[in-house]
Amino acid sequence: MAKSEDITQKLDRTKPPKIGKPKDVKFPKYHESVTKNGITVLVVQDKRVPLVTCRLVFKSGSSYDSFSGNDKSGLASLTAELLTKGTSSMNASEIAEEVDYHGAVLTSGCDYDASYISSYSLKKHFDRIFHITSDVVLNSIFAEEEIQREKKQRINSLLSYLDEGDYLAGKTFNKKVYKDTPYSNPVEGIESSINNLKRDDFRNFHKTHYVPNNLIIAFVGDIEIKEAEEFVQNNFSDWKPKKIEELNMSHVAMDDETTVHVIEKKGAVQSDIHLGHLGISRSNPDFISVLVMNTLLGGHFTSRINKNLREVHGYTYGARSIFNWRKLNGDFSVETDVKNENTLNAVIEIIKELKKIKQEKVLEDELSDVKSYISGNFPLRLETPNAIASRVINLKLYDIESDYYDKYVSKVNALSVEDIHSAADKYLHPDKLIVSIAGNTKEIKDSLKQLGSVEVIKKVE
Amino acid sequence: MHFKGFSHSNMSDVIPRIDFKEIELSNGLKVIMSRVSEIPMVALNTTFKVGSKDEEEDKTGLAHFIEHLMFEGSKFLKSGEFDEILNRNGGESNAYTTWDSTSYYIVIPSNKLETALWLDSNRFFDISLTEKSFVKQKDVIFEEKLQVYDNTPYGSLEVESSRRLFSKSGYKSPIIGDMEHIKNMRLEDVFAFFKKYYIPNNAVLSIVGDIDYYETEKLVRKYYDDINRGEEIFSKEYFDDDIEEEITDDIFDNIHLTGKFLFYKLPMPGSKAYYAIQILNGILSNGDSSRFYKELVYRKELVNDIESYLYDMEKVSLFSISSIALEGRSIFEIEIEIDNIIEEIKSGNIHDYEVQKIKNKIEAGFNTRKLSIISLAERFSHIKTFYDDCEKINNEILNYLNITKEDIVNAANMHLNKNQRVNLNYFPINENWN
Repeated sequence: MAKSEDITQKLDRTKPPKIGKPKDVKFPKYHESVTKNGITVLVVQDKRVPLVTCRLVFKSGSSYDSFSGNDKSGLASLTAELLTKGTSSMNASEIAEEVDYHGAVLTSGCDYDASYISSYSLKKHFDRIFHITSDVVLNSIFAEEEIQREKKQRINSLLSYLDEGDYLAGKTFNKKVYKDTPYSNPVEGIESSINNLKRDDFRNFHKTHYVPNNLIIAFVGDIEIKEAEEFVQNNFSDWKPKKIEELNMSHVAMDDETTVHVIEKKGAVQSDIHLGHLGISRSNPDFISVLVMNTLLGGHFTSRINKNLREVHGYTYGARSIFNWRKLNGDFSVETDVKNENTLNAVIEIIKELKKIKQEKVLEDELSDVKSYISGNFPLRLETPNAIASRVINLKLYDIESDYYDKYVSKVNALSVEDIHSAADKYLHPDKLIVSIAGNTKEIKDSLKQLGSVEVIKKVE
Repeated sequence: MHFKGFSHSNMSDVIPRIDFKEIELSNGLKVIMSRVSEIPMVALNTTFKVGSKDEEEDKTGLAHFIEHLMFEGSKFLKSGEFDEILNRNGGESNAYTTWDSTSYYIVIPSNKLETALWLDSNRFFDISLTEKSFVKQKDVIFEEKLQVYDNTPYGSLEVESSRRLFSKSGYKSPIIGDMEHIKNMRLEDVFAFFKKYYIPNNAVLSIVGDIDYYETEKLVRKYYDDINRGEEIFSKEYFDDDIEEEITDDIFDNIHLTGKFLFYKLPMPGSKAYYAIQILNGILSNGDSSRFYKELVYRKELVNDIESYLYDMEKVSLFSISSIALEGRSIFEIEIEIDNIIEEIKSGNIHDYEVQKIKNKIEAGFNTRKLSIISLAERFSHIKTFYDDCEKINNEILNYLNITKEDIVNAANMHLNKNQRVNLNYFPINENWN
């Protein structure tokens, strides 16, 4: 009976339906402790699946490369990669075989601010996998043969990156934005610096930075707090702490005017554009208002920049803007690909959007839409144990207040159009841009002169 | 019974069972609901059984084109409103087109499930399209083609391989379509294609996440019941030639490192040979202990990268081996090495522990599926569309676990022969390679 009533009521498809009551989203609780030798241990219990994820993070990344001498970029990154290539008790093949046989994953790498080793496996194999993980951290031998192999592979990877416009534009942008500070050097290194690296460099980097007081371990998954602490105790208690020299980053000034840097990419049928300037570090108190302002500007599909370039003009398949934050600095960039003849127009449209959000307050509706997008989407960012692990670790790595994620949604929702306006006004500088474009220099460079002085780069190292 | 002896209860000792409920509406729409997640989100995947292979030979690109238009608005929404409404409700959407199907997904906070169902169900009604936005979308697609195919190293591989692997069926054209066809595409073509394929009796809707079956079914009926059933689709008989002699070609691209790419046509997904080659695929290239990695990357230092992959298509599957040479190493040397490894397998030289290793990896993978509601919804739509068997979500693992060493050797001998493959060499433009 009720059913026939429903049918007779014709559905009005032009009106969005009413929405139900939102559910509370809480960031998972984490347990924190510090061992005698200074390891920060974080545990998040998550028993949805019988899996344990473990992430070890050392608070030293490629920004320390230059501490080992000039032209050593790529050192932190290759050190991390070499960890799994042999210890005093297992060679590279034995490590790979054991990890694979247990259906587990063991990876290592680094970024500007930290080096990490991550592993995950089914709960039933985790004891063994954690043992291997701790072995590679403590007892890596950096064998000459493995070093040579990794160096050769890295140099070839660098060669293949030269085929990617996005890489060329990004790398040049980075160099111009961060000038002569360590953040301007690529994490992955360059050919000459990779050739420079010697076995002692790796051993020293390992000895200096892979120390317990520089380490954060996060366990996420089907594991008890006590179990996790015992794993750490059993594998790491003999490890001696050591003082680490603090990294100071000298101040970088923003340029006075916009400059254009065009990188030759053979046979390019599109321009890869990266444009922007310095941004903010993770510890900046305006972090959340900048994040919300950027989401509105170019941080999601219906953002102003993507709408303008893709939907209104049909210039591109996609465009976005992003504030890349690092520990001691950060940058702001807008990135897109367009065909050669639209290059100048696309840049002009982007600059228009930057000026507009800087000059005019955003609409109340626009802001409230973005707030709902960010807060509604938040749980999805916590879907996997790995995502949870990275977020808990970031709290420690970047000295973020421990209730940051609990208050995140309410802080986002508390922002006013004035807050967004002042964030845009303070942190966007459309007249001081570094415009880095990889593409067909001959076809595009002349038209770009109206933006500022144009530098043509024939070859990127 | 194929899987005799494995009841669901003892399967769940190995892998936690994924619960689901299926219904079919009177207009033929198949709906799968699965409550799995503890995060308050829900994912929808609507899959239409139409892809690039179903297009007319002189009108390619329509399936993918309509994928783009589905966000352009409908009878009930203005252009751009779809994503605006979704974003402002904390949701996101995307879509993809394959040779055989077109899928749309939405992910949204679970209290807004009704908004998602409203938006998704509106898709079934006429697309509203002005000449102006039609031209704009063509531009976006031309840019997509430039970005993904032309301006990407080795980006022409899909086009170059398909046209050699297939000569008769729709699989021979690239999914994105021929740019000439897109230039000439008329609005009427779009409307006709839409009317033929975007009908409830050609679609599967999967809803996965924080849902209540009873409430969800009620909402599904509210938004989908009044959609009219479409005319039954008679799909073209699939036919294509087997490859009997190796097809080899050289292609020149804007690249620094040479590449060697091999493709073999195999029986359709779901067949015994398919699962056997899936396990073999793991033995060859999954992880640093795999045969390809050990021989070509590690011991012989021939390649910068090597991977293999088994692609699911409706009528066939496609096994590919892709390798990028280290500078100065010859791709002919690489080919010999790859062939040696495949011949070893064919001669029966596989260790039990290698097979077990890949099964262990597959077991770990099945255990973690619950962690992504988007991919789980996609998987439900896929297995319902192509196998009409949702229980496969829980028992497909047995197809893998039942594979023996002999099955792998047989499948390799039957399908991985040189005369059955396409063999493409990628060389840098303007450089001598000999």
